Amino acid sequence: MLAIPWMMVIGMVILVIIGTMALYSASDGVWTASVQQHLLRSAVGLLIALFIAFLPINLLFRTSFIFWLFIVCLLTIIPFIGVGAGATRWINLGFMNFQPSEPAKIAVILLLARYLSLRTFDQIDKLIIYVPAIFIIAIPTALVLRQPDLGTGLMIFVGGLGVIFVSGLPKRYVLLGLGTVAASIPLIWGQLYDYQKARLLTFLNPEKDVLGAGWQITQSKIALGSGGLFGKGYLQGSQSQLDYLPEKQTDFVFTLIGEEFGFVGSMTIILIYFIIILSITGIGFRAKNRFTRLVSSGLAMVIFLYVFVNIAMVTGVLPVVGAPLPLISYGGTAMLTTFLILGICLNLSLNSFKEDIEIS
Amino acid sequence: MAKKRKEILEVSNQISRRMLLVGGMQIAFGLILVGRLYQLQILDNASYLKLSDKNQFDHRLVIAPRGRILDSKNRLLAGNSEVFELVVIPARTKDLKKLLFNIDGIIGLSREEINNIIETAKNQPDFLEIPIKSDLTQRELSHLAIRSAILEGVLFQKNFNRIYPQGKLLSHVTGYVSGITEKEVREDRQLQRLVGLKTGKSGLEKSLDISLRGTVGKQRIEVNSRGKPVRFISDRLPKQGKDYQLTIDIDIQSYAVHRLKLGNSQQVELAKSSVQEAINKNAELKAHINIGETMILKDANSKYVPPETGAVVLMDVHTGAIIAMASSPAYDPNLFAGRLTNRAWHNLNQHPRVPLLNRVIAGLYSPGSTFKMVVYAAALEAGVVSSDTSYSCKGFFEFGDRNFYCWQEKGHGVVNGRQAIAQSCDVYFYQIALKTGIDRIQNMAIRMGLGAMTDIGIPGEKLGIMPNRAWKKNNRGTVWTPGETVIAGIGQGFVLTTPIQLAVMTARLANGKKAVKASLLAQSVQSSENFLPLTINSSVLREIQRSMRSVISSARGTARKYELDGYGMAGKTGTVQVKRISKIERDEGIIDNIDRRWKDRDHALFVGYAPYDDPKYAISVIVEHGGSGSSMAAPIARDILKFALERQ
Repeated sequence: MLAIPWMMVIGMVILVIIGTMALYSASDGVWTASVQQHLLRSAVGLLIALFIAFLPINLLFRTSFIFWLFIVCLLTIIPFIGVGAGATRWINLGFMNFQPSEPAKIAVILLLARYLSLRTFDQIDKLIIYVPAIFIIAIPTALVLRQPDLGTGLMIFVGGLGVIFVSGLPKRYVLLGLGTVAASIPLIWGQLYDYQKARLLTFLNPEKDVLGAGWQITQSKIALGSGGLFGKGYLQGSQSQLDYLPEKQTDFVFTLIGEEFGFVGSMTIILIYFIIILSITGIGFRAKNRFTRLVSSGLAMVIFLYVFVNIAMVTGVLPVVGAPLPLISYGGTAMLTTFLILGICLNLSLNSFKEDIEIS
Repeated sequence: MAKKRKEILEVSNQISRRMLLVGGMQIAFGLILVGRLYQLQILDNASYLKLSDKNQFDHRLVIAPRGRILDSKNRLLAGNSEVFELVVIPARTKDLKKLLFNIDGIIGLSREEINNIIETAKNQPDFLEIPIKSDLTQRELSHLAIRSAILEGVLFQKNFNRIYPQGKLLSHVTGYVSGITEKEVREDRQLQRLVGLKTGKSGLEKSLDISLRGTVGKQRIEVNSRGKPVRFISDRLPKQGKDYQLTIDIDIQSYAVHRLKLGNSQQVELAKSSVQEAINKNAELKAHINIGETMILKDANSKYVPPETGAVVLMDVHTGAIIAMASSPAYDPNLFAGRLTNRAWHNLNQHPRVPLLNRVIAGLYSPGSTFKMVVYAAALEAGVVSSDTSYSCKGFFEFGDRNFYCWQEKGHGVVNGRQAIAQSCDVYFYQIALKTGIDRIQNMAIRMGLGAMTDIGIPGEKLGIMPNRAWKKNNRGTVWTPGETVIAGIGQGFVLTTPIQLAVMTARLANGKKAVKASLLAQSVQSSENFLPLTINSSVLREIQRSMRSVISSARGTARKYELDGYGMAGKTGTVQVKRISKIERDEGIIDNIDRRWKDRDHALFVGYAPYDDPKYAISVIVEHGGSGSSMAAPIARDILKFALERQ
C-alpha cells in the first residue's frame, strides 16, 4: 500500500465540501458563480497536488532556490504590476488574481529546509550559519509587510522560524531570538501603517468603535455567540444572512459556520484541521531524511498558522489582520497554496523511506 | 562513519523532540480556540442571542384608531377621519434638505418644521418614515401630487385625524386631543415611540384616554445591516379603542347651547356692515369672532353684544342622565386635533371669558335664591317653622348693627314659606336661616347634592363650598358668626356651587324619593331604584315642590311670566349680586342691570323641573352677568325644557 496520508486527503475533501456549503449560504442560498468557482478551483487544485505528488523529490529539493527566487522577484515587482484596493497584493493572471505572498510561505520553508538539512552536526552550533537562514525568511517577509500585509508577513516569518527551531537551533539561540523579537516590537510598531495600528488598537478595545473598525469583531462575536450549541440551522444565520457579518465569504466564513452550526460545527472544523496538521507532522515524524522532516514540520506550521490566525481573529482573540481559512474561504491563492502543500506532503509521504535526498 | 551515524541520529532525535514540542504547542494554541469558542457559543450564548435579535429586528408600534364617542342616539360626537399625511423615507431620498426645500416651495414649511424633520432623520433608522405634514388639505394634496415626480422618497400616507363633527356644541364634554407633550413622555417613556399619537388633553378624551386609545399594535421589521427592511412580521394587530355612548342628546344640546347664548337679545346678521364696524371697534366682540363665534346679538339698548356667557345642565330626574350640558363660550376641539397655530391658541387662552373653562362642572357660583329650598327644607325638618309660619318683610332685616336688605325695597309684607319662595323674599329666609342654624342647613344641602362631587367623568370638576361651623374653623380659623348664617340663608356669602350640583339638587327635589346621581356615560346610568333613598321627609319635600310650583303659578311668583304651557313647570329664580351695593347707591336708587357694565351686572340663575305633576327633566341655568334670574334665566330654562319635552 502506498504511503498516502489518507486522513489528510479525506479531511481536505470534507473541508472543501463544507466550504462550498458555507459559500452557498453566504450567497443567500443561491448557486452563484463563486460557489461553482470554489468547487472548480478545488478540482484543479487536486490535479496540481497529484501532479506534484509524483514528481521526483529531488526536483523539489533542487528547484527550491529557483522557486524562492521567483517568488521574491514577483514580490519585488508587485508594486508596479499588481492590483488591489489599498494594499497591492495581487497579480492579475486573467483567470484569477494571484497573490504571491501565499506560495511565499511554501518557498521559504522549502529553501530553509534545503539549507538547514545540509548543515553538519558541528555547524548547527554556530550562530553564523543562521544568518543566511534569516535572510531566506526576512527578504520575502519584508516585501510582504511593505505591501502592506501584516498577517501574511507575520505568518511567513513565524513559519520560517518554526523550521529553524525544529532543525535543532541550540537553546541559547532560541532564547536570544525571543529576546530580539521582544526588543524589536517598538521598532516594528513604528514601521506599521496607520490602518494596521488602528486594527491592533481596535482589537484591544473593540467596543470603543462599534460602528467603525470594531464593527467586524463585534458582529462576528455576536454571530458566533448567538449560534449556541447547535447553531441557528443551515441558511438560518440571521447575522450572516442579513449582512451584519462582513467578509462572510472570505475571512469571516468560520463565523458563518459557527452561527449556523453552533459550537458543534466550529469544533468539527477545528478537529478536521488538527487532524490535517498532525498528519502532516506525522509524515515528517516517520520520515528518515532531514529535508522531509523539516519541510513537513514547516508545512504543518503553515496550515496551523492559517487556521489559528483566522479563528483567533474572528473570535476576537487576535486583531483583524486579514487571513483566510484555507479550503473554506473563497479565494484562489490560499486554496492553491493549500493544494500545493497537499501535493508536497503526498510527495514527501511517498518518498519518506529515502534517507538522504541529496545523495540519491 | 560511526561517529557520523551517531551525529545523524542525535540530530534526528533532536528534530523529533522539537517536532513534538511544536506539535504540542500547536495543540495548546488550538485548545485556546476551543476554550474561546466554548465561552462565546455556550457560556455567553444568551447575551449574544439578545444582541443578535436586536440587530435583526426593529420593533415598531402601530397606533390603533381611537374609540368613538357617540350621543344617546348613536350620533357621532368624536370620531376619526382618514386624512392624508405627507411622509418622507430618508433612505429613498438623495438629499433630504433639498427635498424639504422643494416641498416648502409647494405647501410651505416653517424653518422649525424643517429642522425637526432633519433632526428626526439623524436619530432613527433611515427606512422609517418621518411625517412632514399631517392633515393635508385638498389643495395641498393636489399641488403635491402634480409635482410628485420631483419629490423622490416622499409618499402620501393615510392616517387618522380626530374629528368632532359637532364642532363647538360639545367641546367641554368631549374635550380634545393633541400631540404628545414632553411631560407625558416623561411619565410614560413608551409614548416616545408612538410617533403621531394624539392623547386626550381635556374632557372625556382625557379621562377615558387609555381606553379610547385602544391597544397599540406591534410590528417587527427584520432589518439587514444597511438598515433595509427585509420582512415585516406583525406580532400584534392594533385594536381600536373602546367606543363610548353618552347620555347627551345632541339635538337638545344644540338647542340648549343656542338658547343659552341668545339670552334675551336678538341675533343679528354678521355680514351687516354696522355689525362688522362694531366688531372692529369692540375688543370683546372681536375676541369672540377670533375663537370662531358666529353669533352676534343686539341687546335691549340696541347695542351689539357677544352671546351670553354661562351654563345649562338638563338632567333626567329619574336616572340622573345628563341630556344636555352647555358651557358658553365654547371652543372648537377640531382646532387641537389639526394644526393649532400659536395665534389660535393665544385667542383661546387669553380670551376674557375663558372659553376653555367648563362652567358646568368647574364654574363656581353663589346659588343665591336657588338655595332657598335648602334653607326652607332644613327649617321645616328641624321644626323651627311650619308651612303656616309667617314673617313680616318691610324690605330689610335688622340684625345686630347691620341691615340685611330684601331685593324688594318696599318689602313683601306678611309672607309664609311658600309665598317667600314664590316671591323670593329675602327677609323671610334671613330669619328662618338664623333659627335653623348653619349646621342643619349645610346638612340638608349635602343631602340634596350640593357641595359634593358628581364625578360624571370629566376631569377638572370643582367641589364648591358648603360651609358649616366646622368648615369655617378649619378653613378660616375663626368662629362662625350668626351674620354669616343670615347671608347664607339667601345662598350668598361662603356658599359656592356648580351648575351641575344645582341640577342634581333640582332633580332630587323633583324626584322626591331617591338621591339621584348625575351620569354622562350611557354605561354608568342606573335605573331609579338603584339610587339611595333621599332621606328627607316626604311632607317636607311636598311643601318644597309646591313652593317651587308657586314661583311660576302664583300671581306674584318671580317666574309667573314663564309658565311651560301644557306641562307645568316648577322652579326657583336666583339673582346673585357680584358687586356689593353701597349705602349711597342704595339711597340713590339701584341702577338697572342693563345700564351697568357687563362685569358689574348680576348673575341670573334658574333651577326648575317639568312636568310638575310627573317630573321628567330638571334643569339649572346660569347666565353670567345676565341680570335677573326671572327675566333672563327662567325663560331660557322654560324654552329648553319645552324643547326637550316636546321631543319625546
